[in-house]
Amino acid sequence: MEEFDAVIIGSGAGGAPVAWELARAGKTVLVLEKGPRLRTQEDNGPQGLSDFKRDEVFSAGPEKIITLEGVANKGRSFFTSHIEPDLNDEPHLHSQKVDEVPVVTIEGYTAQCVGGGTQLYGAVSLRFTPDDLRLRSFNAGRSGLPGLDPNDQSVSIRDWPISYDELEPFYGKAERLVGINGQAQGQLKPFTSGSFYQKPLDPNPISKFALDGINAVGGTPYRTPLAVITEDHAPSGRKAGDPKTSYVNRYGDPLGYKSNTWVSLLRPTIREFPSKIQLRCNSVVTHLESSGKKVTIVHYRGPDGAKKTVAGKVVVVACSAIETVRLLMLSAEEDRGGFGKVVKYEEGGSLLGRYFLTHCFGGAETRVRGRFDKSIALDSDWATDLGASADFIRNNKLWAGGAIYNNTSDQALPLSFVRTHQSADLDTLWKGFAENDQSLYGDRIIQWLDDDFGRRLSCSFMANQIPWFNNHIRLSNVRDKWNRKSAQIVKMWHPHDKQVMDTLANVCRQILEKGTGTSANLEFGSVYGESRDASVRIANHILGGARFGTDPNDSVLDKFCRVWDSDNLYVTDGSFMPTSGGANPTLTIQANAFRIGEHLAKNVL
Amino acid sequence: MPVPTLPLDVEHLFDLCTKHLARDSEDLRHNYLGALPEGRGRYSEGWRFPHVEPHFNGDPMASGALNRVTFVYLAPRDAADGFKVSVRGTFAPLYEFIPLQRAGDSRFFATTLLLPSGQCFRYRYATGGGEELDAVNPQTTTEDNGARWSSFFTLAAFEAITFERWERVILDRLTRHILPFNTEDARIFLERLGGQQRSNHPYLARFDIGVGVVNFLDKLLAREERHQLFAYKTCLSIIDQLVRQRNPYLEPRDMNEDMFVLLYDQMVSGNVPGWDYGRYDNPKYFLEILRRHTITAAFSHPKYGGNAGAAAWDYLSARYRDGDGKTLFDWRRAIEPPLGNSTEYRG
Repeated sequence: MEEFDAVIIGSGAGGAPVAWELARAGKTVLVLEKGPRLRTQEDNGPQGLSDFKRDEVFSAGPEKIITLEGVANKGRSFFTSHIEPDLNDEPHLHSQKVDEVPVVTIEGYTAQCVGGGTQLYGAVSLRFTPDDLRLRSFNAGRSGLPGLDPNDQSVSIRDWPISYDELEPFYGKAERLVGINGQAQGQLKPFTSGSFYQKPLDPNPISKFALDGINAVGGTPYRTPLAVITEDHAPSGRKAGDPKTSYVNRYGDPLGYKSNTWVSLLRPTIREFPSKIQLRCNSVVTHLESSGKKVTIVHYRGPDGAKKTVAGKVVVVACSAIETVRLLMLSAEEDRGGFGKVVKYEEGGSLLGRYFLTHCFGGAETRVRGRFDKSIALDSDWATDLGASADFIRNNKLWAGGAIYNNTSDQALPLSFVRTHQSADLDTLWKGFAENDQSLYGDRIIQWLDDDFGRRLSCSFMANQIPWFNNHIRLSNVRDKWNRKSAQIVKMWHPHDKQVMDTLANVCRQILEKGTGTSANLEFGSVYGESRDASVRIANHILGGARFGTDPNDSVLDKFCRVWDSDNLYVTDGSFMPTSGGANPTLTIQANAFRIGEHLAKNVL
Repeated sequence: MPVPTLPLDVEHLFDLCTKHLARDSEDLRHNYLGALPEGRGRYSEGWRFPHVEPHFNGDPMASGALNRVTFVYLAPRDAADGFKVSVRGTFAPLYEFIPLQRAGDSRFFATTLLLPSGQCFRYRYATGGGEELDAVNPQTTTEDNGARWSSFFTLAAFEAITFERWERVILDRLTRHILPFNTEDARIFLERLGGQQRSNHPYLARFDIGVGVVNFLDKLLAREERHQLFAYKTCLSIIDQLVRQRNPYLEPRDMNEDMFVLLYDQMVSGNVPGWDYGRYDNPKYFLEILRRHTITAAFSHPKYGGNAGAAAWDYLSARYRDGDGKTLFDWRRAIEPPLGNSTEYRG
């Protein structure tokens, strides 16, 4: 059987940095990616066209209908991008309780292609704060936090087994190698290794309202770090161009200015070390096989579905949190006495799949004076750590905080403007315009466009969610197209999450009110809701389920993200996180993956 | 003149196929509303096959003339080692069988042809066992003699496939009512724009925007959302009968706008006097479908045929300007020539 030093499953934020490190250390690496490798123009040669398009139909395609049996939303429509999975083939299921009939949801999926979620994301690349990594210590001795019972054993707030200072050099490394523009000054996070940001481009003029609002509420503004190159980027050999098109969030970049892990990490590694790294696309791993404490065989399907196997001295799983936990559980069901023991599948006290996390998320939105060309924008211009400071958190009786930033490219293009009307999440695209608001037609559409096109401004927060034992990933009896059990996410919001979201949404409201000088047309809120239909179920930041720690009885992974009872099995996507951090998670996943890659190269292989 | 054939890019072929075709399950997971016959509902987005992609040859003005069309045949699991398959169709003399090439050691056989844009074609696969229709592509055509073919169309096709003339008339009246272009100033703007034919490039073709929208629907219902074809056919028939009952003296094309305003409002309410609820019980739901399709038609990329010559984008671009006359929706900046003026993006 073929054997590599490392087999890495997944080519996104958790997998690509490990591949980058190991190939440069002279190790042989195989990256297995379930999805296709969609090419940039450059990938296809001097006269090539990209497989990604500036085309709004690519972001949310034609109607499909859920046909699966045993789900509560059979018969409902859904609209996915061209690189998200077909939900009838590879469903994610959600319920608030174990015994509730689940719904199929597009929430919680990242793109299935080389680069994973870094292809479609808005590219906001914030660091977590030092306090984000030590929330147990931060909250020691505190009481009186609304909705949070200090004696509730199902809530499990843990410090990370590494400090911010240990992670900081890898933040710097990720920022330098991935290619990120931004501004260190004004952030609460220490840049001990220095700032490697590229220079931000001029903000869209509409963002001035957000800047004024941040200043008016006493926040310190800084340019939002974005994984988009604005200057030539030597580490990846990319040339700068014109990335401000608003075909950003939920679009792959045909020109490779967005720093997804293909153009920033994998492509340069393959070019520089072709004998050390192989990338096999359209190859889905079905299960892992172990002998004793060692994973010995990786079973996968080739592009036409043919069964194949390969071996690695180490195996790194980085499929994004839900699919990673699912793969470990499916592997355990293949061999309960072997692999199942290694990951403690369904054993008493097992934490595999537990403490699944997303983010407390929400904000405010308003109509501004004047009109602006929002089609010339990146995803965000200004951010503030006002809501992440220790004083803010304590004064507002929160357990943790989060970053706040304005959104610039949302609703910038005509179809996104229409199909996101009144929609709360990706499961409700088109619902507002097509179904709920049929009075919008003809002259009224013109009035609506006159009122709002190029005039909407929003401000969001991204904050820690309470780690709760009840929130978990499990296997469902609904089968995917390979007749494998699908992942079911059991999740609801903790009562204290409401406090976090209400508080930060109110800050966003104040920013826009003070920035625009009026509360007219101002709306604010969050994804919190107590019923399934009233809340956003999962969102796209999927974290936890295999948290790392210092105690094998209190975590799934050790400090270096190795499964405690395995000699060679590592997990490097967002599932390692014991808390979800007060910011978008991709940069932290990348930084940690560089850390693990370096550890494997120096100490293991 | 043989059809130009491009070398098979095996990796790209897998990128096009795996998600949609590779599977163990034989379930009809994608047979929405029972619309897909003969097992085609087991494949995800079977409408993507044969796969039609734009082609660039270095000249933005000339490139729109050709598309890359990749025919894919998924061989049976028990196919013999020497298995062969070819395709013949109206893109070449019908006696000419173009062989498909096996992609590595996979079950995929494929060939990529350069075919003219704006065209509709028929084809069949030929194996040792005789000829067969494409088992994935839901589009088929039946000739007058009863012969069935698989069929497809290339980008910017304008030939009517799905709807008959009377159906297109009803669609035109309904969709114009939904779109934001039925004010007097919008009409004048679009009429002026319609006269500005810029070149022969298919994406630049300028015609009435309502005609473009109906053309988009004609193609969408043939392919991506074929599962809603029953709703369209049934509801258009009901509406045709209904408006003729309400005004027996005029053809629908000549009826007053008020007729369709009233009908639209009644459909919103779900209570449409004279509607044949036995044939289709939810006019409000049909309106939901129509609203989504109509807006998508008008504002999506012109290659799909609805936003003819980018007229809808131009309308917004002209309507929203700053005090100096500079547009506040500069869509051309990001879009490929010859439609837009990006110096980097080729489309």
